[in-house]
Amino acid sequence: MNAVIETDGLGKRYRRQWALTDCTLSIPAGHVVGLVGPNGAGKTTLLSLAVGLLAPDAGTIKVLGGTPAAGQAQLARVGFLAQDAPIYSGLSVADHLKLGAHLNTSWDSGLARGRVDRLDLDPGQKAGTLSGGQRAQLALTLAVAKRPELLVLDEPVASLDPLARREFLQDLMEAVAEQELSVVLSSHLVADLERVCDYLIVLVGSRVRVAGPVDELLAVHHLLTGPRRDPDALPDGLEVISASQTDVQTTLLVRTSGPVLDPAWTVSQVGLEDLTLAYMSQAAGGRRRGHRHLEVQK
Amino acid sequence: MIWLTWRQFRIQAITAATALAAFVILLAATGPHLAGLYATSKITGCHAFACGTAANAFFGQLAGLDTVVYLLGIGLILAAPAIMGIFWGAPLIARELETRTFNLAWTQGVTRAQWLAVKLALTCLAAMAVTEALSLSYAWWANPISKAIGVSVGGPQLFSQGVFSSVSFASHGITPLGYAAFAFTLATAVGVLTRRVLPAMAITLAIFAAVQLAMPLWIRPHLTPPSHTIAGIFAADQVYGTLSADVVPGQPNAWILSSQALNSAGQPVSAIPTACASVSYPGEKGGASALTPGQCMQKLGYREAITYLPTSRYWPLQGTETGIFLALALALAGFCFWRLGRRRT
Repeated sequence: MNAVIETDGLGKRYRRQWALTDCTLSIPAGHVVGLVGPNGAGKTTLLSLAVGLLAPDAGTIKVLGGTPAAGQAQLARVGFLAQDAPIYSGLSVADHLKLGAHLNTSWDSGLARGRVDRLDLDPGQKAGTLSGGQRAQLALTLAVAKRPELLVLDEPVASLDPLARREFLQDLMEAVAEQELSVVLSSHLVADLERVCDYLIVLVGSRVRVAGPVDELLAVHHLLTGPRRDPDALPDGLEVISASQTDVQTTLLVRTSGPVLDPAWTVSQVGLEDLTLAYMSQAAGGRRRGHRHLEVQK
Repeated sequence: MIWLTWRQFRIQAITAATALAAFVILLAATGPHLAGLYATSKITGCHAFACGTAANAFFGQLAGLDTVVYLLGIGLILAAPAIMGIFWGAPLIARELETRTFNLAWTQGVTRAQWLAVKLALTCLAAMAVTEALSLSYAWWANPISKAIGVSVGGPQLFSQGVFSSVSFASHGITPLGYAAFAFTLATAVGVLTRRVLPAMAITLAIFAAVQLAMPLWIRPHLTPPSHTIAGIFAADQVYGTLSADVVPGQPNAWILSSQALNSAGQPVSAIPTACASVSYPGEKGGASALTPGQCMQKLGYREAITYLPTSRYWPLQGTETGIFLALALALAGFCFWRLGRRRT
């Protein structure tokens, strides 16, 4: 399938500070893609560029094959839920649905009303008095009821409590299942996304550190534990993502396409969170201490 | 988009409509009384000096309320563009940026240009309509006073604002349309730059007040080519002391831009000639037969060179001034489009 978001050398500058530099990535369609990275990695900038709220200062970005926000047709194909789910606090829930109906030709009012009913939102209530979770639900309703092909969510659960977080993601998954959407959602915590995304991109300092389907990533990454030894003296085909050593023991997170045959190592499964953290700390460590740079091929 | 514009604007619109209705009711309640006073005054069909006397008698009959409404109306028309600019224009885009709702508005199925075009056009037209409605209803109410001012000579200071006066010109005719459009788009554009509502309000107020002052002082006099005439110092009603003309002979209510006293040789003079400065006034001791300084200068052939705008230039000047403000408003609106569009590609 085609890429929903494709960037090449993409960069965005705020005055003289580059928020995103030389970002090249391709996000495949038909997935729920988790875009994970530490604060300041350029996630929000990348997503704002994707929905056309920002214009690039360098490179190119194509979304569903078109230029972001280039016209009504392009706008109709992409739904967006911004960070902290901004809504008009003076307008009621019903007003927001009317807003969606008036501003979108592809608006599905049945879907919108159904969601509001099911979520137990009072149509007459002012949006400013909604709880954080309800705000996010209302904003998500606006984003999905325009029936987009691609749904972009920027840190959708960052400000929600754990219960609201779970409900929101569950609700999102139902909407995705019903509408066959491609979804890109960002977070600085992979734990938030673990349950929902089937494709992961780790973005650190504008660079893609690792990208791929979640099951594939989990299949090629292993945690090796064994007696202390030099991580550099490993056989070819084993790529060390992170290493930690005590006096007697070495623990490695490695990437390899084949099996690990050396009996000196105890091989165990790695979780998505550990995997992501390894890539994030690798980037941070590489920058901080000037270590051997371990660029990972996609 | 029209629905959203109305939904976000309706409270302001209802407030403005209520204020306008209250003002019109006040005018309708006091207007007939004013018209009655004028009808019974001897201004209609008066001749020459009788007009001034009749006008002054009419002014004397005006009640305190009439005076209050007269001043309130002018103040309101001059302030309305600034008020609507500040409360309607400044938040138009700045509030969306401030509350980050632009994220929602600009990712719906209408382009940013459409969004801005509808919001800007509808709200700006509303501001222009309210200001012009104030101006027209006030002009109807104040018509008797305006007519009396037109024929009065040396009336009370309060009622000395001819059609070309700073406050009268900017509050009558079509200029209120220009001021309203300019103030509104100025506030919107400033809001785009500051991205905050309150600073946008303050900056708009400062700039608009400066423009309102600069226009009559430095700009309006140069907008249309003036007429020139030379008149005798009595015909020009020369002001003793400054030696400036007070009226243009044969051109009632003309706007005197400048005047210069000339001697018999046609050279400009700035002081009363010594030959006339020492003459005594009639009634002073031994001065019964002497000349006043004015009579003395008249006798010596002094004249006034007057640069002025006749009342026939009133509407061309109104058109020019309104056109300037509408052009500025268009430029400011264009800036908003450019600035918002620049974030896209």
